[in-house]
Amino acid sequence: MKITKLGEFEELVLLAVAALQQEAYGVEIKRELETRLKEKLSVGSIQSALKRMEEKGFLVSEFGEATAKRGGKRKRIYATTAYAHKVLAEMRDVRAGLWDAIPRLSGEMRLDY
Amino acid sequence: MMPQNEIAPPGWVLRFLRFFLKKEYLEEIEGDMEEIFQDNIESIGARRAKRVYALDMLGLLRPVLLKHFRILPPLNQYAMFRNYFKTSFRSLGRNPLTSFINVFGLSVAIGICLVVFAVVEYDRSIDRFHVNKDDVYLVTFFGDIDGATHQYGRTPRPLGEMMKADFANVRNMCTVQDGGVVVKHGANTFHERVRYTNAQFLNMFTFPLKWGTAGSLADVNSIILSEEMAIKYFGDENPLGQDILVKFDETNSKAFMVTGVAQKFPRAHAIGFDFLINDQNMRVADSTYNASDWKAFVNATFVQVSDRAQVATIAHGMEKYKRLQNEALKDRPIARFAFVPLADLHEQSADIRDDISVDAPVTSFVALSIIGVFMLGLACFNYINIAIVSAARRLKEIGVRKVIGANRLRVVVQFLSENIVITFFAMLVGLVLGVFVFAPWFTGVTHRQVDVSLVNGNLWLFLLAVLLVTGVASGLYPAFYISRFEAATIFKGSVQFGKKNPLTKLFLSFQLVLACVFIVGAITFTQNIGYQAALSWGYNQRDALYVSVPDAAAFGKLEAKLLQDPNVLSVSASRHHLGKDMASAVAIAPGKQYEVQRLSVDASYFETMGIERVAGRVFNDHQQGDHQRIVVNQLFAKNMAVANAVGQVFEMDGARYEVIGVVKDFHADSFYEPVVPTVFTMATEDQYRYLTLRAKPGAEQETYATLKAHWTALFPETPFDGGRQEELFTWYFDSVDIQARFGRPVAGIAILLVALGLYGLVTLNVSGRTREFSIRKVLGANARNVAASVGKQYVVLTVVSLALGAPVSYVLIKALFASMYPDPMPISLSAILLAMLLLVGVLVAVVSSQVRKVLKASPVDGLKVE
Repeated sequence: MKITKLGEFEELVLLAVAALQQEAYGVEIKRELETRLKEKLSVGSIQSALKRMEEKGFLVSEFGEATAKRGGKRKRIYATTAYAHKVLAEMRDVRAGLWDAIPRLSGEMRLDY
Repeated sequence: MMPQNEIAPPGWVLRFLRFFLKKEYLEEIEGDMEEIFQDNIESIGARRAKRVYALDMLGLLRPVLLKHFRILPPLNQYAMFRNYFKTSFRSLGRNPLTSFINVFGLSVAIGICLVVFAVVEYDRSIDRFHVNKDDVYLVTFFGDIDGATHQYGRTPRPLGEMMKADFANVRNMCTVQDGGVVVKHGANTFHERVRYTNAQFLNMFTFPLKWGTAGSLADVNSIILSEEMAIKYFGDENPLGQDILVKFDETNSKAFMVTGVAQKFPRAHAIGFDFLINDQNMRVADSTYNASDWKAFVNATFVQVSDRAQVATIAHGMEKYKRLQNEALKDRPIARFAFVPLADLHEQSADIRDDISVDAPVTSFVALSIIGVFMLGLACFNYINIAIVSAARRLKEIGVRKVIGANRLRVVVQFLSENIVITFFAMLVGLVLGVFVFAPWFTGVTHRQVDVSLVNGNLWLFLLAVLLVTGVASGLYPAFYISRFEAATIFKGSVQFGKKNPLTKLFLSFQLVLACVFIVGAITFTQNIGYQAALSWGYNQRDALYVSVPDAAAFGKLEAKLLQDPNVLSVSASRHHLGKDMASAVAIAPGKQYEVQRLSVDASYFETMGIERVAGRVFNDHQQGDHQRIVVNQLFAKNMAVANAVGQVFEMDGARYEVIGVVKDFHADSFYEPVVPTVFTMATEDQYRYLTLRAKPGAEQETYATLKAHWTALFPETPFDGGRQEELFTWYFDSVDIQARFGRPVAGIAILLVALGLYGLVTLNVSGRTREFSIRKVLGANARNVAASVGKQYVVLTVVSLALGAPVSYVLIKALFASMYPDPMPISLSAILLAMLLLVGVLVAVVSSQVRKVLKASPVDGLKVE
C-alpha cells in the first residue's frame, strides 16, 4: 500500500493510538487529540478514522473492560500493527527529507539571479 | 450494576443511534458516547451535554459506520431493473394514448415550472455579481408617521461622512444623489439623470470598467459613463479624454472630462447608473447646497464594513445620529436606523420607501409558483387516475410476478421505477418545451427576458427535485394500490377494481375546481382591461398636454406663444405635475398629523387638468395671501373628521396654511395605488417647472405638434421633455393587458390538461366495459341509454365539482385582485358562468366522443373481446 493512502487526520489518530498504548480507546483518543490540537473533535470523525484504519490493517482491536460510567458497555482498545509503525516511520522520513530540502532549494534559487 | 444516574442521554437520539449504526460497532460507540455525555454533564451542564450528544450522533452518520440498509436482497439487481425498464417501455408502447396523456401532461407542467424557476432564480441573482455584496449595506431608517411605521431608503445628508469618521468598522462609504440635467456633446443634447457620488462608489459596487479607471471619480471634473450612454453620445469609439457639457439648469453648466466607461452592466442589476460625477458638484448645481444640513436627505447612503459580524454594534451606535436628526426635523421623527445588505436589497426593496433599488415583484412570483405547482398537480392527478383505472390491464403481470416470488415491496419498487422512467421522459420533453416554447412565449407576453440557462447548477438540482417529487408523488398511490392484490384472487378473476375508485373521483373533481379557478381568473383579467380603461381618473386626461420648463421666464415665453393659438383653451404653470412629479409633506393640526401628497400649482391648474371643485374655492391670482392657503382633496377633508374642512388650519414645512377649498378625489398615480390625501399649495413664480395646457377637444395631436414647434423655435439648445397626459399611463394599461394575455393561455393549458385526463379516464372506462355495452346494444339499447350509462357517474361529479369550484374561484380570484388593486374590479357572475359552461362543454365533448365510438362499434366485435 502506498503511504499516501494514510490521510493527515488518520495519521494523527494513529499516532495517538501508538502513544496511548493500553489506554487507546475512543474517548481517550479523542481527549488526547483535542488537548493537543486545541479544537473540538466529533465522535464520528474519530470513529470513522479508526474503522477505516482497522480495515486497512493499520490497527487491531479487542474489547476491554466495562465501566459504570459507560452504562455497562465495554471499551474497545486499539493497538497499532507493525505495518503501521513502518508506514509512520516512512512518512516521518519523507517529511524530514522535505524539510531539509527547503533552505537548500531557496538558496539555489537565489544563486540563479 | 449500572448506577441509577438521574440524567440520561435523550432517548430518541439513542434509539436513532441503535437504528443506523452497524451492530458490531454499537456497544463500543454507545459506551463512548455515554462516557463523553457523563463527562460533559459535569463540565458544561445537562442541557448543553444533551445537545452535544445529539450533534455527535449526527456526526456519526458516516458511510463506514452505517448499517447496510437492505430493502432488496443482496442479489444482482441489474437484470431485474432491466426487466422493469423493459416492461415500462412495453406498457408505454402498448397504450399510446394514456402514455401520451401522461408524458404530455407532465412535460407541459414541468416546462412551466422550469420557466417559473428561471424567472425567480434570475430575480434572486440581481445585484449579486458585486464582489462586496455581503459587506455593503444600505443605511435605512424606520419612521412612524400617521400611525404606521415604514422603512425609508433615503438618509440625512451628513450621516454618511459622520459614520465613516465615527466607526472603525466602516471601511468605505458613498452617498448617492440623483439629479436631472441636460447633457450636451456636439449635436447630441438630451435630458439625463446623473448620479452624484464619490470615488468609493465603484469600489463598493464593482462594476467593471471598459475604459478608464474607477479612482478618476475623485476628480471633480471627471465623469464616468455607462456603456449605453457612451454609445449614445460617442458611438463605438473610445471617449476617454473627451469633454461633455452638463447643464444643471438654465444658467449653470460645467464641462466634464470622460475618464471612464463602464462595461455593459450584467442584465441582473437593480442598481446602475447613466453618468457618475463627484458629489462636490452638488455645489455647482445648487449654490445653496449645504452638505451638513440634517434637514435634507440624500437618495441613499451605502457603507462597506470590514467585519460583517459587527454590524449590530454599528446599529447600536446610531442613537446619537437619531437624536441629531429628530432635533432637526421635529415633525417627522425617526424610530431607528437599520442596515440592509446589498445582496438582499432588491428582494426587500418593495418594503423600503424611496430607495434607489428596483422592487422585486414578490406577488407575481408567488402567483407564478402557485401556477407551477397547480399545473404539476393537474398532471400528477391525471397520471394517478389513469394508473388506477388501467391497473386492470396489469393485473395478470402482477399476479405472475407475485407467484414467482416478488413480495409487495418489489412490486411497489417496480411501479415507482417505471414511474420515474416516465417522469424522466416527460422531463426531457418538458426541458425542450420550456426552453423553446414557454420561455420565448413568456418573454413575448411580459417583456421580461427569461433565459433557461442549462449551465446553472441550481437548475439541475431543481429538475432532480421535480423528478423525484413528481415521480414519487404521482406513483406512490398507484404502486401501493396495484401491489395490494393477492395472486390467488387475481387469477380467480374475482377482482373488480379501478372502475369505481373514490379517489379517482376526488382527484377529478379537484382538477375541475382548479381548472375553474384558472378560467375564472383568465376571464376576469380579460374583463379587467375594459373595466380599468373605463375607470374615472377624477380629472380629465384627454386633451391635456404637459412640458417641463426650466424656469418662469421660459414658461412666460412659451405661454405667450401658446395663448395666441385658438386650439389652446388654457395654460397653467406648476412646480409639480399629476402622474409625473409629486412631493410629500406632513400637515400638522393641533394634536394630529397627516402624511399628505403635495402639489404646488397656479390658479388655473385645476381648470386645465379638469379637477372639479366640490366646496369653497380654488386659488385666485388676484387674491392677496393665497400663498398661505391650501386646497385639499375629498379624502383629506374626510380624514380631518370635521364638519367643514374649509377654514381648517395646518402647519406644513414650518408655515401656516388655511384650507380654502375642497376638490374631488383623483388618481395622481396609476390605479395600482390608492387615492392619497392631497394638498395643493400655490406655486411661486420661481418654482415653475411645468407648463400644462388644455387643447380643444379633437385638436390634441395638432396642438402637441404646435407645442413642440414652439419649443424648438424658442429653446433650440434644450431638448423637449413633455407629452400627452394620457401617455404617462400607457405602461399601466400595458401591464393590465399583460395580465390578461398571460392568464388566457395558462387557463387554456389547464383546460387542456383536464380534458386530456378526462379523455383518458372515460376511454379506459368505456373500453373496459366493451362487452357490457355490446350486450346492451344487442338487447336494444339506443344512443340515450348508452350515453346515460357512460355519463351517469360523471354528471354527479361535475355538478358537485362545479358547485364547489364556483365559490372557490370567486373567493380566490377576488383575493388575488384585492392584493393587486386598491379598488379591484368586482368579480362578475358572467365570468363564473362562462367558466362553468366551458368545463361542462369539455365534459360533454369528451363523453359524447366515447359514446359515439360505442354506438358505431359492432356488438359482434365487442363480444369477441377476450
